Amino acid sequence: MGKLISAILTRAVLGGLIVVALGPILWTVLGAFKELRDIVTPVPKVFFEPTLDNFATILRNPTIRDGLLNSVIVVSAAVLVGAVLGIPAAHTLARHARKWGDDVQFFVLSLRFMPPVAIAIPFIVIYLDLGIYDTLFGLVLVYLIVTVSTVIWLAVPAFERVPRNIEEAAAMEGCGPAEIFWRFSLPVAAPSLFGALVFTFVLVWNELLLALTLAAQNATLPVVAASITSLGKEVPWGVINAATVLLVLPPLVFIGLLMGLLNTMVRSGPK
Amino acid sequence: MANISCNDIVKSYGAHPVIEGLDLDIPDHEFVVFLGPSGCGKSTMLRMIAGLEEVTGGRIAIGGTDVTDLPPGERGVAMVFQSYALYPHMSVADNITFGLRRQGASRSEIAPRLKQVAELLGLEKFLDRKPKNLSGGQQQRVAMARAMIKTPQVFLFDEPLSNLDAKLREKLRTEIRKIHMQLKTTTIFVTHDQLEAMTIADRIVLMRDGRIEQMGTPDEIYERPATRFVADFIGTPAMNFVSADIAAGDRLIAHGEGMTLELSRSAFPDLAPGQRVELGLRPARMELCTPDTSNAITGRVVLVENMGAEGQVITEVAGREVSFVTQSFRDLSPGDPVSFTISPDHIHVFDSSTGHSLRRN
Ligand SMILES: Nc1ncnc2c1ncn2[C@@H]1O[C@H](COP(=O)(O)OP(=O)(O)OP(=O)(O)O)[C@@H](O)[C@H]1O
Ligand SMILES: [Mg+2]
Repeated sequence: MGKLISAILTRAVLGGLIVVALGPILWTVLGAFKELRDIVTPVPKVFFEPTLDNFATILRNPTIRDGLLNSVIVVSAAVLVGAVLGIPAAHTLARHARKWGDDVQFFVLSLRFMPPVAIAIPFIVIYLDLGIYDTLFGLVLVYLIVTVSTVIWLAVPAFERVPRNIEEAAAMEGCGPAEIFWRFSLPVAAPSLFGALVFTFVLVWNELLLALTLAAQNATLPVVAASITSLGKEVPWGVINAATVLLVLPPLVFIGLLMGLLNTMVRSGPK
Repeated sequence: MANISCNDIVKSYGAHPVIEGLDLDIPDHEFVVFLGPSGCGKSTMLRMIAGLEEVTGGRIAIGGTDVTDLPPGERGVAMVFQSYALYPHMSVADNITFGLRRQGASRSEIAPRLKQVAELLGLEKFLDRKPKNLSGGQQQRVAMARAMIKTPQVFLFDEPLSNLDAKLREKLRTEIRKIHMQLKTTTIFVTHDQLEAMTIADRIVLMRDGRIEQMGTPDEIYERPATRFVADFIGTPAMNFVSADIAAGDRLIAHGEGMTLELSRSAFPDLAPGQRVELGLRPARMELCTPDTSNAITGRVVLVENMGAEGQVITEVAGREVSFVTQSFRDLSPGDPVSFTISPDHIHVFDSSTGHSLRRN
């Protein structure tokens, strides 16, 4: 009997926690499909006639549409190049330069200690001189500092956890260093690397300050979102909710894609 | 199939030498065990032969080809690791056949060979599983199958059984030995378990601090240890060591701590009266006797350890402990006076300063 009660209590508490955690998100998603009068009614409405108007408004609005596009371009480029440069570098650090590994890792991490403003202001000057101020290319370049350093920082321990003997066994079968990396180290470390990439992605997807200072015209989604929230009292709640959903969607899609890639990589091995 | 020859191998990590000028020749088909205490350089030596570690100096040849500068994959050797080192992202079958598939062998060529090694090692049921869903013993079999399928010239094992429980160890040890009798592939097997070495080896290479202390068949190592170190390392229970002085007289007599023992003149012709030596007495070579028997050692029982068929009796003789093994240990209890004896042929004599055996034949 006591057991039953404690089980029920546990569930109730867990259920409460879930409602608290997911409630606002759910409310936002619902709001994205509501018309303004359904949102501002004093009695919250759970049942209403859904509309896609809010999404249409957003996607018809060139600022938001461009912001979304810019975000996708900048963030995917920065994460992709960051992964391509950072992951092999992390493997090399983990395997062949262990004695400097800690120093390099700390240096890379220390890049993250710096407040972004400290980077932003010198970069404005440099970018103006180079003529890449307010370009997506320039923004990708600064974001690379973030992505490469974060990927290295998180991937070195991921590769260190790959047993060295596995790589040696592969070497005994005649694999060269590149083959060992592709066929063994990478797939074995993949689950941890996956986390590293998602973390990196979210980090730059949400980045506001550098985007605001270095590419105000070619604004990314966080910049646009920030400008919407400063509209004052006349808040288009439905539109904001829809924008939030759009902002959250790409990271989810990205995680899904990465997960799929991970699964195929881990399953297939060499044919 | 191939012989292995290592010539003046040196290995240092930084300024610290681990292997210092080691020479070793292993004939074709032989099953050699590297034995020695932890840190003596067994794994390092094995890994240099495998090509996983570079030599600092010296040459290694396998089957007459100098392989010193070849990468591991081109030496025709296969290795089984202590940690199994299976590829966690591949099935058992894929693990075993990876090497063949990589070399571009055809499916029709691989299938019968996979079947053959899987049968040999009893892995047929597990081929579709992932390594993490196997027990330690099964994983080690997969590792062995993976090494075997390519029919290498040389097998290298680095303590392959030390993560397994005692019973499974014994079973796999026998299997490895049987497989070797069948395939006759030259094998080097590293262990620090002397019993494992004795049971499995054609020849034992006993190492100490990066040098070979003695090399020989298990019998040679056991019966004729070249040094006190070897004598101490091999055999359970461990050998008793007693300091003694050689007495003057017709017969070759040594006076030790509380004992007077006759030695074999033909085995130790060089012993001179007054010489200080160390006697080695194997517990297993001693037996109960009456106090008036020749070479009797008399003491008092301290402890009796039941080992099943036999028992180890630890006695106190003139203030020091001497142990022997007997089947009639059940008649003895702590405090009893006891006499036991050892035949002159079984007494080892070592130089008390250098530790070298003084046996001449
Ligand atoms: N990468 C390394 N760097 C520095 N020293 C090393 C390295 N690898 C091994 N050593 C040293 O070399 C010596 C021999 O090591 P090795 O692993 O060959 O011993 P072992 O005989 O296999 O011991 P065990 O029975 O414990 O496995 C040890 O003293 C060890 O500290
Ligand atoms: Mg070792």
